[in-house]
Amino acid sequence: MKGHLTEQELIEYQFKLASDIRMGEIAGHLEDCARCREHLQKLQRKFAALDLLREDIKASEDLISRVVEQAGKPVQARIVRFRKPAWLSAAAAVLLVGSVLLISNLRKDKVESPEILKEPGSAAPVGEMRLERKVETLLTEDWETKVAMGTKPSLQVAKYSEGITKGLSDLETWGIAGDKISEQPPFAPASAIELVVLPRRDKVQLTIYNSADLTLVRERRNLTLKKGWNWLQFMWANTLIDPTSLSLEPLAQADKIDIQQLVFPARLRELGRWLIRSEVGGQVPFEITYFTSGLNWRAFYMGTLAEDEKTMQLQGYVRVGNNSGEDYEKAQTRLIVGKVHILDQIAELAKRRYAYNRPGIRLEDESGRATWDMKIANGVDIGYHFAGFAGDAFGELRRKEIRKEGLSEYFLYSIEGTETISDKWGKRLLSFEAEDIKVKSLYKYDEERWGQQALRFVAFANDEEHNLGQTPIPNGQVKIYSQADAEGYLSFVGGTSVKYIPVNEEVELNLGPARLVKVEPILMDFKTDNYVYDRKKNISGWDEIRTWKIKITNTRNLPIEIEITRGFGTAYWTMQANIPYEKYDATHARFEVNLEPRSKDTIDYTVTTYHGVREESLTRTEK
Amino acid sequence: MVKTDKSLLEAHIKGDTTAFAELVRRYGDSLLGYLTRMTGSREQAEDLFQETFKRVHEKADTFRGSRIKSWLFAIATNVAIDGSRRRSRLQVVSLNQGLDCADGKCEELGAVTVARNSCDPSQAVVRAEQKEQVRQALELLPTRQRATIVLAYYQQLSYAEVAKVMGCSIGTVKTQMYRALRALAQRLPDISENVI
Repeated sequence: MKGHLTEQELIEYQFKLASDIRMGEIAGHLEDCARCREHLQKLQRKFAALDLLREDIKASEDLISRVVEQAGKPVQARIVRFRKPAWLSAAAAVLLVGSVLLISNLRKDKVESPEILKEPGSAAPVGEMRLERKVETLLTEDWETKVAMGTKPSLQVAKYSEGITKGLSDLETWGIAGDKISEQPPFAPASAIELVVLPRRDKVQLTIYNSADLTLVRERRNLTLKKGWNWLQFMWANTLIDPTSLSLEPLAQADKIDIQQLVFPARLRELGRWLIRSEVGGQVPFEITYFTSGLNWRAFYMGTLAEDEKTMQLQGYVRVGNNSGEDYEKAQTRLIVGKVHILDQIAELAKRRYAYNRPGIRLEDESGRATWDMKIANGVDIGYHFAGFAGDAFGELRRKEIRKEGLSEYFLYSIEGTETISDKWGKRLLSFEAEDIKVKSLYKYDEERWGQQALRFVAFANDEEHNLGQTPIPNGQVKIYSQADAEGYLSFVGGTSVKYIPVNEEVELNLGPARLVKVEPILMDFKTDNYVYDRKKNISGWDEIRTWKIKITNTRNLPIEIEITRGFGTAYWTMQANIPYEKYDATHARFEVNLEPRSKDTIDYTVTTYHGVREESLTRTEK
Repeated sequence: MVKTDKSLLEAHIKGDTTAFAELVRRYGDSLLGYLTRMTGSREQAEDLFQETFKRVHEKADTFRGSRIKSWLFAIATNVAIDGSRRRSRLQVVSLNQGLDCADGKCEELGAVTVARNSCDPSQAVVRAEQKEQVRQALELLPTRQRATIVLAYYQQLSYAEVAKVMGCSIGTVKTQMYRALRALAQRLPDISENVI
């Protein structure tokens, strides 16, 4: 043999993979070649690591007894596979469809209404069960494909039979009464999980907390459970759902369904599984609640001033936006106004099951339409009550109402009926509309705050006198328009943002600089007087006397009221003016002037400010 | 007198439950060892173990032969391959991981554990890590290569028996074996003698 042995030859020699002749040749070479022997020893040391897994593995008595116990059950009818011609497949398909139709027609006479929940004892005939299982299997395969793609967040139920190899014994334990359920939850390896496509969510309720970018989602879904242990899988890929907030509650048969734990499997992201022990099999309504981010709402308002600007029409809107990554179809939407202490009060809010009224009462709203509440077949209240859902169902064009409820420190707005809020979409809804709100149109001038310009304000109160006061007004943007002419054209007056306005509180809307009202202060004279000297002949006190003229021009066609605030930089001042003034605070005086349309006015005043020891003289004079 | 596999299976078909129990005891340890090394998980192996004997139970009357071992491992191999396919499609892992570390189960699930009575904890840690490396090296092999090396090396079946189990020729088995070993040579850890 020329040269040295290759690694392949050494491996083949070590593990006796080569032919006998070749083995002899390699053995001969190794006797003569120290280098190849060393190479072989190196390989042997390498493969010695395999022996680390050579420990004895014993099958436990428990495992053996489970296997033997399973073998004690009758053998399931075997499906014999054979190659079949195409025409035979077609004939079989026709026969199968015909049989199903025949069975379903026969059953129509017997079954009056479908049961939502199957009792454990009411096991269906074997043939029917097989059909159900077949459908489930098809759905399972479909879903598994989706899971592999990892596209859509959704729910799955992973079902178990108990004892031996879960998947294959499902048929035997499905819905059979009298079987004891093991107290120990089964292990859930992938090989044993069956996934079943669930129906879409039946109902969904969103409670959006703007103050914390948080939304409480309550979903209702009918899950098909099997008697025994069930795994319910929840996926939230590409969404903003907070997995730590997930909660699951059965809405029926709660005493027979025990939700034991929520597991977040290692190495699997955005996926959680609930372990459910159920003493019943069949469809059970469940409520799943969780928090998500990305849903938000904001309020905004449109005010239209009357021609005389003494009244205003105010419309409030809310815009609900969805960037949560999830579509919420026909969601009942509730908006929280005010700042919520998340840790405490969300829990309280979550307990509020009924958005409007208690269920079980048939109601009629103002338009005479019946509201609807829902109970499941066995009379267990599922806790959803929808007012005006017919607005969606019957395509009515009636505008939806947003109802408001007080919740101690914050406020709950409930949008009437349901709304579909798709991901990346926003929706604007009318919140309230109030006519003939008395407003005070006011101009203000304060150099220290706004510079040398007058600002325009509209003031009103959130109370009954102003046709408001039913609810607090959430903070939001306000745009004010005025009637431009008799034909109803509007002109934009100004816009601002308002803070939360509680009931019975006044609010002033700053509409920005006034273009048609001018205020022009002119300093006419300045002098100092009444100097006081100390013993060293230094000045220790004096007065400053200023004479001002303020020209006010109203170029509007309407009379105006304007507040002019003047500051003096000291609390020691006296003033003489040609019109009354109000001492607004220690250092400011305020004039209120009413001007006729297209008119001018002038304020003349002389202010004396006292400095140094002269401040004391003013104090003595006042006393 | 020791009963043969065939006679035990025939007794089981006739309703003798003790016969099946004896079969399970006879091959239980080696079968569980095979499945544990195939899956890398004791829990998964126990599931597949049950599934294997369930199939044995169901197909007992189709067995033609004298020794059940090859037939049993052939069923177990199919069960393991089916399970592996399903796992790879679903990407699901054990839920009990980290919850139940009794009996060294965590170790088999990938965690490194040290026996409490270990004389030298650092050596035990190194050894546990090396075991984990070996386990991972095995797991990275294609399923059929892994089955081949586990059957031939750990279960010490002859290549002819492995061929029978895998349903292929001896030549194919040797090819699979060589490929598996070549891959393992790249991935196995270097172990020093004092650790072993």
